Amino acid sequence: MSQLANLKVLIADDHFLIRQFVRNTLKDSKVENVQTAADGNEAIDLVQKARQAGQAYDVVFLDWNMPTISGLEVLSYFRAKPEYADTAFVMLTAESEQANIMKAIKAGATSYIVKPVSPADLGKKLFEINEWLKRKRQVAGGIFG
Amino acid sequence: MSNTQVQLSLSDDLAKDVAIAVTRSMRETFGVDVTAGTAEYGDGMVSLVGDISGIIGMVQQQLEGTLMLCMTFETVRDILPQVVGKSIVITHEMAVDAVGELTNMIFGQIKSDLNQRGHQIKLGIPCVVSGKGHFVSQFHRGKYLIVPFHLDGQLFQVYIAVHPGQAAKDLALQG
Repeated sequence: MSQLANLKVLIADDHFLIRQFVRNTLKDSKVENVQTAADGNEAIDLVQKARQAGQAYDVVFLDWNMPTISGLEVLSYFRAKPEYADTAFVMLTAESEQANIMKAIKAGATSYIVKPVSPADLGKKLFEINEWLKRKRQVAGGIFG
Repeated sequence: MSNTQVQLSLSDDLAKDVAIAVTRSMRETFGVDVTAGTAEYGDGMVSLVGDISGIIGMVQQQLEGTLMLCMTFETVRDILPQVVGKSIVITHEMAVDAVGELTNMIFGQIKSDLNQRGHQIKLGIPCVVSGKGHFVSQFHRGKYLIVPFHLDGQLFQVYIAVHPGQAAKDLALQG
């Protein structure tokens, strides 16, 4: 079984095309536990409800420009809450200005992916994100476990 | 970082940027290979015809412009199944969504490439116009560049028009 198969993922993007594209790529990496959100509000709601239910997301992909609340605002909202420190928030966006990339990294983005991205490159990024999750959880386990 | 802004001109270098951004977006997102044709340059107003068009305004300190991607519904219907699945019926909403996102990706990439070369370009809010056989006409007194693309016998176009902005006009008046 793929080491990525146990990941629980949320894709937040207002474009159906991208939600489907990422879902397909994740499926190729054997990641089946995938939900989607079409705007920032829905993303916040789903992420909070999942944690409350004891089934937190491991990875949340965020588009930058979405209706209601932007991906950057969603990222900042959760990074202000320590209980989400071991959730990977990944910006997946056509926004490629260096200043904005820095803004997202400073806000706590685990990774920043500029669209367009090939399925192969997205798969590689997912592997890196999984390594980040493992390190993060080992450290938390070492301190609190 | 330098504050010196490099004036954008409609050149073969820009046509090359367009070709790279479009072929890359189509290959990476849809897994299809498109071929760029010979770029066409001209002055003044031109009308493009299509079924779905993605349009974004662009400004530079001394320049104003429009970026446009103009496609037929058939082209979108041919590329979308690579992502959404072959058994899915492609709806009008899906096609509009796809062209909107393609517009974002293509022109975001072109902006990034140009800004790395010092152009300091800003883009407006993208919009998508749809309607079978609609015309998009640009009312300007500047220059335009059209790069055609071919995909399995189908054609779509990327159009860039620029004219001097207010700052350039003010400078000209002062001079």
